[in-house]
Amino acid sequence: MGVLSIFILSKAGGLIYHKDFGFGLKKLNNSNDYLVIAGTFHSVHALTTRVNPLNTHSSGLLTMEMETCTLHCLQTLTGLKFVVVTDNNQSNVSVVSSTIYEIYSDYVMKNPFYTLDMPIRCHKFDRALNQYISTVE
Amino acid sequence: MSVAPRPAVPAKPSSSTPNFAHERNDSVSTPPPPQQTVYDRSLARKRGEVSLSAFAYIFSEAVQYCHSRSKDVSELEHRLNLLGRHIGVRVLELTVLREGKNAKRETRLMPMLQFVHTHIWRTLFNRPADSMQVSTEEQLQYMIIDHRPLVTEYISVPRDMSQLNCAALVAGIVQSVFSAAQFPCKVTAHSMGTDEFPDRTVYVVKFEDSVLKRV
Amino acid sequence: MSKVRTIGADVWKHKTDKVSLELFTLMYGSIVSQLCDDFEHDYTKVNQQLDKMGYNIGLRLIEEVLAKTGLPRCHSFRETADAVTRVGFKMFLNITPQLGNWSVDNKQFSIIFPPGTNPLVEFVECYDERARRELWYSNILAGVIRGALEMVQLSCETEFVSDVLQGAAQTELRVKIIKVLEDEVPQGEE
Repeated sequence: MGVLSIFILSKAGGLIYHKDFGFGLKKLNNSNDYLVIAGTFHSVHALTTRVNPLNTHSSGLLTMEMETCTLHCLQTLTGLKFVVVTDNNQSNVSVVSSTIYEIYSDYVMKNPFYTLDMPIRCHKFDRALNQYISTVE
Repeated sequence: MSVAPRPAVPAKPSSSTPNFAHERNDSVSTPPPPQQTVYDRSLARKRGEVSLSAFAYIFSEAVQYCHSRSKDVSELEHRLNLLGRHIGVRVLELTVLREGKNAKRETRLMPMLQFVHTHIWRTLFNRPADSMQVSTEEQLQYMIIDHRPLVTEYISVPRDMSQLNCAALVAGIVQSVFSAAQFPCKVTAHSMGTDEFPDRTVYVVKFEDSVLKRV
Repeated sequence: MSKVRTIGADVWKHKTDKVSLELFTLMYGSIVSQLCDDFEHDYTKVNQQLDKMGYNIGLRLIEEVLAKTGLPRCHSFRETADAVTRVGFKMFLNITPQLGNWSVDNKQFSIIFPPGTNPLVEFVECYDERARRELWYSNILAGVIRGALEMVQLSCETEFVSDVLQGAAQTELRVKIIKVLEDEVPQGEE
């Protein structure tokens, strides 16, 4: 399966959603660890926007390649970050990220019981996301 | 702010209205043509479409507003039901009017149920309801079933409110359609998902005893 | 930006689930009617509540606009105004209101709804005298625009200045851009 994990970070860098896909994936021991990863990533991302020595606009970190997997980051104009971890053969990740963003805009934003910037606990969002990810090769 | 029939009243006198005090005219003076009002527009044509998202956002705000004014789930459902009633009476008139020459005032229960299941659902949701059943447990109780209600498409009820079904709005619409057609009843919405249709909603319609005469 | 001119129609045609306009109008009418009852016809409070509801919607609806269109940040307020009318209104309500009455500094403009185009007021008439004077029936739209723009770091004020429901010739919504919220721009943006 191409997509391994998804993290969604709020504008302030808080982790509002995390899901691992596929079987037999390692879980971090402490659920707090995921929060720390998210917060650290948020700061690293901010750092990377300053690294560019050229006088051009810098988008900040877009992808992070590792030996067995790649991390992709989509930051929206509203400051949300969709972080998708895939295996190294995954193509078209930008389509995957923007589809996840659309699913978020449907099943989270239109849910009257969801409060902005809080952890996402919407079962229809989970369902739609699972259905979509299972179709991604 | 309603579609209730009233004699058309012009919004304000048109600036081009002749001033009769100064008019010297031998012929009978005719009143100025009334300005176009809302009542001059035909109801017969369907008005078009908007995005489901637009509906979902305003409904989401309506749910939040009702929630803020309710002490518990049943009060919230009641408030949503009331919102639906405002819609129901108007949808009934609109649907019957659009039947044109085929319009018939239903006085018997089964044809009325069919009318709601098919025509009212079509006016609201562009398709008929998925099925209709007679209750085996109680007299004068029927169920209208919708496999995927449009109004709750994006709503995920939190676990601690699992008895809530926001389709109480539609229950209110259905209730006031029947009541306005002289079939008084109470309608409630229940989530009864299956594997195939996880969002399946059953609207339980319990008619009052007076309807027995018209079965 | 030519993308702004066509993307709204594209999204409406290909990426939008639709519902009957009557369901939408009746739902909104029911909400306004309920608010009038709840606030005992204090139309100032009804207007405020509609604006607040619209603001909450705007904060959320902007994500759908960005997700479905992929529009980049606008470079001028004129682009922003275009995006609001040609993309926003088109993809949700299938209308493209007109823009006009630009101020000299290009920070204020009006969104104009010619009669018969605003779906919220389809078949609505205000016959109560005081409501005609005081109620801004479509005030939710003012809030939506304010909330949506705030999420892309544009602080603005919005208010209706005329409404056909009040007897005017057209419905006009005035938008005043106050400032760009520089501090809130996400890192990595211009």
